[in-house]
Amino acid sequence: MNMPSSRRATPGRLAAISATLLILLSPFLWLLQMSFKSNDQILQFPPPLIFTPTLENYISLWHSAFSASFVNSLLSASLSTSLALLFGVPAAYALSRWTGRGKHSLSFAILVTRMAPPIAFTIPFFLFYRWIGLLDTITGLVLVYTSFNLPLVIWMMQPFFDTIPVSLEEAALVDGARTRTVFTRIVLPMVTPGIAATAILCFLYAWNDFFFALILTRTNARTAPVAVVNFMNYEGWEWGKIAAGGSLVMAPVLIFSLAVRRYLVSGLTAGAVKG
Amino acid sequence: MSESGIDGERRRFIAFALAPSLIVLFAVAVLPAIYLVVTSLTPFQLTNPGSAIDFSAPLRNYRLLPGDPRFVNSLIVQAKLSCWSVLFQVLLGMLLALLLNVPSRFVEFARTFFLIPMVLPPIVVAVIWKLIYTPDISPLYYAAQALHVTMPALTSSVDFALTSIVIADTWEWLPFTFLMVLAALQTIPDEYSEAALVDGASRLQIFWYVTLPFITPILVISGMFRLIDSVKAFPLIFLLTSGGPGTVTEVTNYYAYLLAFDTNEIGYSSAVTVVMLLLVCGISLGLVWMGRRREAMA
Repeated sequence: MNMPSSRRATPGRLAAISATLLILLSPFLWLLQMSFKSNDQILQFPPPLIFTPTLENYISLWHSAFSASFVNSLLSASLSTSLALLFGVPAAYALSRWTGRGKHSLSFAILVTRMAPPIAFTIPFFLFYRWIGLLDTITGLVLVYTSFNLPLVIWMMQPFFDTIPVSLEEAALVDGARTRTVFTRIVLPMVTPGIAATAILCFLYAWNDFFFALILTRTNARTAPVAVVNFMNYEGWEWGKIAAGGSLVMAPVLIFSLAVRRYLVSGLTAGAVKG
Repeated sequence: MSESGIDGERRRFIAFALAPSLIVLFAVAVLPAIYLVVTSLTPFQLTNPGSAIDFSAPLRNYRLLPGDPRFVNSLIVQAKLSCWSVLFQVLLGMLLALLLNVPSRFVEFARTFFLIPMVLPPIVVAVIWKLIYTPDISPLYYAAQALHVTMPALTSSVDFALTSIVIADTWEWLPFTFLMVLAALQTIPDEYSEAALVDGASRLQIFWYVTLPFITPILVISGMFRLIDSVKAFPLIFLLTSGGPGTVTEVTNYYAYLLAFDTNEIGYSSAVTVVMLLLVCGISLGLVWMGRRREAMA
């Protein structure tokens, strides 16, 4: 078949694509290469493009308070993801199977809870946490991230449940199985890929958060994104550590995004609607 | 077991499955929203204990807003930032999608890498651009120096500070519009452009009369998403300009943050946030309504 001229992979076009990609990614690559440079190399002019990479930035991070922040990030992101799934997956199933009136209004209301800019939640959460002593705790962060991710789980999972024919469940029900058993034994195993993709997106949202962590934590529960910014202090910016810290913060994101590439669009657009 | 027995059990299960989520969402989304509105009716300052429950002049904060030059300025800054970055993201995203809309294994593989800026943690994006905008260390300034071009200090200049935010925000979110447009392009049957080609249409004509009408809805939708989302540029502003110089890049979101967590004006900040919230919801609902009307007309 003859492709129309506007849709052909000519060498010229491939070169243009490669060049665009290089330009687009160069800021990101610059940070990455900097993380493997010593402080002297970072300040050299012109910047050496070929150099002996060093791990000294990463090693000094490992021995600093940054490693605790990294663990805090891991803990708050994974705990909140588990909780959001625990609450959200059954709710998504219920919404998918519920045929009554008000279904769409309810779905929309759930979505609206995340339309607000984060600051709208931060002020009440900050005051409340201050009152009951949840400021600067992992529990506090987990609670915010769970509420933040719950609508995402419900919205991401509902289409997965919609694709499972109700007749399949009815057959089991007629055979005397209870709805709960049908849900856990038949329906859930069928949506495992969806759950995995949703879990990764939830994890990324919590992992990527800067705003909540900035305001709701100080030192004990400080997360990695906030810790990176703390390397920019009044005594001077430790660019080597900033670059290495930044690279460490983005590492899980890059790995996971590749894994859920197919679901990124629906996840991100759901996030976008929630503003 | 009778038919209605199954239905009854099913209904109970649905209610049981839905209830925890609704309770959680009520507790952590609806209650805070109500609390925010309540706080906005008080002159609450953290340093002034009685102020949290002082409802003697409930609308005072809202009366102050129109006369507050920083608030008015912040709305204008946000409007500028949103319009320019949405415009660039939609245009460049479309161009990129047109460039990458070719059937090729290599291109399919490369597409994933085009998405990187969007999935990076926002604070890492901010760090990356801080790096590029900091003269001592920036590859941009190195290049300028090598070419003997004098670069102005971008983030601290009144003229360029907002532009530097727009550039960084465009870089971060361009992949989003690209992805959306690419998905739309791939639904266009090849026969259309082939037929046009046979009829002797130029490539520009094909784009204008065949491709563009096809992707217009998705351009509008992705622009809408980005518009609603553009109030979330907080990490970029926080790290690159801190709202400055002066208030040149101080968006409403950032102003509300400073009020609450820098100057402790919790009550007033809540009022600013409530107004911002209403504006965002209003714009979102307006866009949804417009979208419905378009659909109804089509």
